[in-house]
Amino acid sequence: MSRLRRLVIPYLGWMLVLIVLPMFLILFLALTDYDLYLGGGFKFTLDGFSVLGQSTVRIAVVNSIKYSLSMTVIALLIGYPTAYYLANLKTQYKTLFVALIIVPVWSNMLLRIIAWEKLFYPISLLNSLGISLDLIGTDTAIIVGMLSMYLPFMILPIYSVLVKMEYRLIEAARDLGASNVQVFLRVVLPLSLPGVVSGVIMTLLPAMTTFALPERLGGGKILLIGNIIEDAFMKTGNFQAGSLISVGLMIVILVMFVGIMKVDKEGETLI
Amino acid sequence: MNEILKIQNVTKSFDGELVLKDLSLSIKHNEFVTLLGPSGCGKTTLLRLIGGFVELDEGTILFEGENVMNIPPSKRQVNTVFQHYALFPHLNVRDNIAFGLKLKKIDQKDIDQSVKKVLELVKLTGFENRRVTNLSGGQKQRVAIARAIVNKPKLLLLDEPLGALDLKLRQDMQYELKEIQQELGITFIFVTHDQEEALTMSDRVVVMKDGLIQQIGTPEDIYNEPINRFTASFIGESNIINGVMKEDFLVSFEGFDFKCVDKGFDKNEPIDVVIRPEDIVLSTKRDETFFGTVTDIIFKGVHYEICVDVKGKEYVIHSIRSREIGDIVSINFSPEDIHVMRKVNVKA
Repeated sequence: MSRLRRLVIPYLGWMLVLIVLPMFLILFLALTDYDLYLGGGFKFTLDGFSVLGQSTVRIAVVNSIKYSLSMTVIALLIGYPTAYYLANLKTQYKTLFVALIIVPVWSNMLLRIIAWEKLFYPISLLNSLGISLDLIGTDTAIIVGMLSMYLPFMILPIYSVLVKMEYRLIEAARDLGASNVQVFLRVVLPLSLPGVVSGVIMTLLPAMTTFALPERLGGGKILLIGNIIEDAFMKTGNFQAGSLISVGLMIVILVMFVGIMKVDKEGETLI
Repeated sequence: MNEILKIQNVTKSFDGELVLKDLSLSIKHNEFVTLLGPSGCGKTTLLRLIGGFVELDEGTILFEGENVMNIPPSKRQVNTVFQHYALFPHLNVRDNIAFGLKLKKIDQKDIDQSVKKVLELVKLTGFENRRVTNLSGGQKQRVAIARAIVNKPKLLLLDEPLGALDLKLRQDMQYELKEIQQELGITFIFVTHDQEEALTMSDRVVVMKDGLIQQIGTPEDIYNEPINRFTASFIGESNIINGVMKEDFLVSFEGFDFKCVDKGFDKNEPIDVVIRPEDIVLSTKRDETFFGTVTDIIFKGVHYEICVDVKGKEYVIHSIRSREIGDIVSINFSPEDIHVMRKVNVKA
């Protein structure tokens, strides 16, 4: 037992240095005027909260919620039927189609964003097909980009719940007089709810916090919270503002995570 | 009309493998019929055909005279108790049982009433709000039965419902099921591979093997008059011996002629003889013709199971008196205990 426990030390060290310490650093930065790059003295202050009054920040918050929510709704509407279809495929096709969904996720996300960016400009590879898109900076570009990034995270948790569902339950429902629609509404849907909740959270959260995607596909016109944080740290040097927004996001994520745990006690849908 | 279900020349295959071969069977109102056979004999497939979960290749199934081939399971007046209960894990006991009634848009008051009554019947009063995931196997089984019978089906299908229960509980449930069936007056079709279950509960037993019905009859018929070697060995323990029917009422096996009560066979027709272990009486008189050596004794509670070797063939005898291993004993039975069966598979 103690020998096994020793094996976990490298990971604990990793967590401490790269997750726990930075979190305290962010908390510290959020409550002081300390300059991360120049160093020097610091004093505790709540001045940073004024950032919340800035119109760009307000717009970014609204944008983040607007884009991530609408994308999540679309992802659910596309993802659930897809997952349902996949779960009912024959075994050999199942593996193939699930692989087709997972494999793109393994390739670099920034790369995929840039690929979309190239296609969304008026002059692109698509011209040879007689198509010319001009989507950079539009809602469509952001939503399509987000969907292509996060749809798999909606499909897979729902799929993993559906595929494990006992087929006898569906037969039992039909036996008791349920039509196909009733079978779905009264048995399949309620039993797959944990997968839906996981899927929603796993698409909503990364979409809300993304910054590379709006930067490339928004053409500088569309800002999300992630862009504000990035600007605060990388451009304007307003560490307190950036940290405060980060802390706010972390609290939102934490609350959602507690939500998942409540619905899905065994954690079976988390990938 | 006395028949609730008439199955005519039903054939079904899966992936080219024939699981039911030209099978016909009639079931009467209020009957408790058991489909008995080893796994893979087609009994569950037959049940699923009746329930509507499998489509048949050939033949017809008439329910109260009406062809039900194109009627989906949801529209049949049949309910099923599934093998592993198949209770809805997201619903509590009440909502599981009320599932079918709610679909029929029945008044909530009447639903509550029915649920209460059926819980009483399966002896689970007060369990309404329990989560089904927290119930024991026996309790789940009762909920599954309640969920089916609350819909007042004319025909209840039970797919090895007691298979997952321990012995004592299984025996208790056998009696309770029989009681429920008699109280409700519903026709039961019960699938099992357990011959004891079949004998205890059924009005009629249908013995199946390889997609064919071997024999249909009351438990007594099937036990006392097995039609062939398969039925004889599947139901109860038996000594099966090769023999020849010399003439009516005279059979020859193990080199001796015996009087018997069977007739109607060809002269010198090869046959199988069945003698049940409890019908054999052992004695120690040496002058008798048919004798052997005791090779094994197993205490079974009510009786001893004694194995006797007669010229290389082992006979099993049930006796309340024990013997010693190595004892020389003679084997006695009366003519009515000899049961003669034809060699070929005959359909009942």
